[in-house]
Amino acid sequence: MDTSEIASDAKPETVVVPMSKPLLQRLVPYLLIAPTLILVFTFTIWPVTQTIQASMHEPGRATRDDAGRRVPGEPTFVGVDNYTALFDSTHFLGRRFPRVLTNTIFFTTATVVVGLPLALGFALLINRPMRGLGLWRFGFFYTVLLPLIGAANIWAFMFANTTGVINTVLGAFGISGQDWLGNPQLVIFSLVLVNIWKQTGFFMIFYLAALQNTPRDIYEAAELDGGGYFTTLYYLTLPLLRRTSLFLVIVSSTYAFQTVEQLEALNRGQPADRGNLLLYFIFQNLGSSSNMGYVNAMTVILIGLLLVFTVSNFIVFEGRSEDE
Amino acid sequence: MNKIGTRRRVEVEMTPRSVGSRNRWSVAADVLTVVMSMLWLFPFIMAIAVALRPQREPISTGNIFFGSHLTLANFERAWNTAPWEWHFLTSVIVVVGVLSVQLVTITMAGYAFARLKFPGRTLLLYIILLQLMIPTGILIVQNVQTIRELGVFNTRWALMMPYWGSAFGVLLMRQTFREIPRDLEEAARMDGANVLQVIRHVYVPLSIPTYTAFALVMVSARWNELLWPLIVTRNPEEGRPLTVGLNQLYSATEAGAQWGNLMAGTMLVIFPLVVLFMIFQRRFIESFAASGLR
Repeated sequence: MDTSEIASDAKPETVVVPMSKPLLQRLVPYLLIAPTLILVFTFTIWPVTQTIQASMHEPGRATRDDAGRRVPGEPTFVGVDNYTALFDSTHFLGRRFPRVLTNTIFFTTATVVVGLPLALGFALLINRPMRGLGLWRFGFFYTVLLPLIGAANIWAFMFANTTGVINTVLGAFGISGQDWLGNPQLVIFSLVLVNIWKQTGFFMIFYLAALQNTPRDIYEAAELDGGGYFTTLYYLTLPLLRRTSLFLVIVSSTYAFQTVEQLEALNRGQPADRGNLLLYFIFQNLGSSSNMGYVNAMTVILIGLLLVFTVSNFIVFEGRSEDE
Repeated sequence: MNKIGTRRRVEVEMTPRSVGSRNRWSVAADVLTVVMSMLWLFPFIMAIAVALRPQREPISTGNIFFGSHLTLANFERAWNTAPWEWHFLTSVIVVVGVLSVQLVTITMAGYAFARLKFPGRTLLLYIILLQLMIPTGILIVQNVQTIRELGVFNTRWALMMPYWGSAFGVLLMRQTFREIPRDLEEAARMDGANVLQVIRHVYVPLSIPTYTAFALVMVSARWNELLWPLIVTRNPEEGRPLTVGLNQLYSATEAGAQWGNLMAGTMLVIFPLVVLFMIFQRRFIESFAASGLR
């Protein structure tokens, strides 16, 4: 770039060159973000607008033209009818949807409330010197590496009625087994258990990283002041982990809202939707094109739920980067 | 991680374990670690055990771990039920195809948001961050439509394209790049480096731990995905990833509850990743600790 400036000094008539340079340079940032922007637009923003639009329409009836070809009908605008139908107990989906919605919220809350403290506990346990640490750490973390469908297969075997592991073990102690996936009262807890088993290791890693990034001299100072382990934990460690926890609450709830795979292998939403979750319910209703208005309305509701849970994500992330 | 010894290590070295209430806590914590870790490993151990016993022996008969004898018959049968090597190849292609493009897009955008000033910067960042709030996975209905219109339905491209841009990655790289001293960039500029050269020779080499952590998260997300591949790929089976194969195996064996067969298949699929992790365990965790992912 220096050469062109020198050149323009020598020959004033080529002043155009240094003038066009800033223009190109001003474009650089946009060129750098263009690929990401185009992809986000194509696979996030455009589909969201389309989903909202379709959620307020009833799909048209397909007809056949003279040659017998299928002609898609024109959608009719129905306002919020698709949404009200989902909460109308006389409607074929409205009968089921509120149950699925409460299940989803319960499932997400339970995962976060039980899973995150457990993840922190695991991180604290393996953040100490100990014999065989590598093995115990592996024990906590390996579930992250399993595909959800593989994890679900393993748990189908754990939960199975007569041939399953849990009931066999309980039987050995003379305790009668449970129908873990068929009992309407139990099924949602079984699903939460699988999810916690699968995800805790992942969240543990974040806590572990945070613990290991805390400056050691802080702890040495606390040690000199005579603080016991639990005093130090409560007054020093937990406040230092606040931001990590907030971040993990958002991430884990976002994950929980999208749970699908394990339902496919464990219970397919049975019995009677007691074990069903929103994204799986959407998936189950994808097949029929006449349901599309409702399916899109459900997707919008799911997006709404996610927005409520994740708006704080920005605050957490942005708050962090402002400090630096 | 061992080098980050806590204050406890010092104590353990100074006094014998059996004395003092502190050490009793320490022993209790050791016991708790072992118990919880074994509890977490238990389903995995049982899955291996049932995969290794004869097919017709339920676990309630005989020795719970070994049955009447050990056999690899289940593995052989599971291996023959699906074109696993093709499923495996597809999964690898998809993971590599997603990650390599992602690394380029997040690096470029991450640098722009970290170091360049331009009109609309904040607005554009927020638009990209929408993707963080609304995961691609839930917009199935419309994205299937888009994939059809792009003419890539039922191809491996359909499995990759929606994930090429990553708001999470952009945010992560932005944060990492911000911590790199500006002087380094200015020195490179003085030497005549252009934007791409600065990114490539200054920013990228200094951010390897963040890339490793990002790769770990993204690889496991794509490797483990089921719903999207189930919808956008149909046939041949060879073009579908491992998770779909595993799902088919489950559907096929469900009726007879042939657990040995199913668990053997599951082990075949998860084994590569588990071995990979065991080898790189320490490096992965150190990368996490060193990256902005915390």
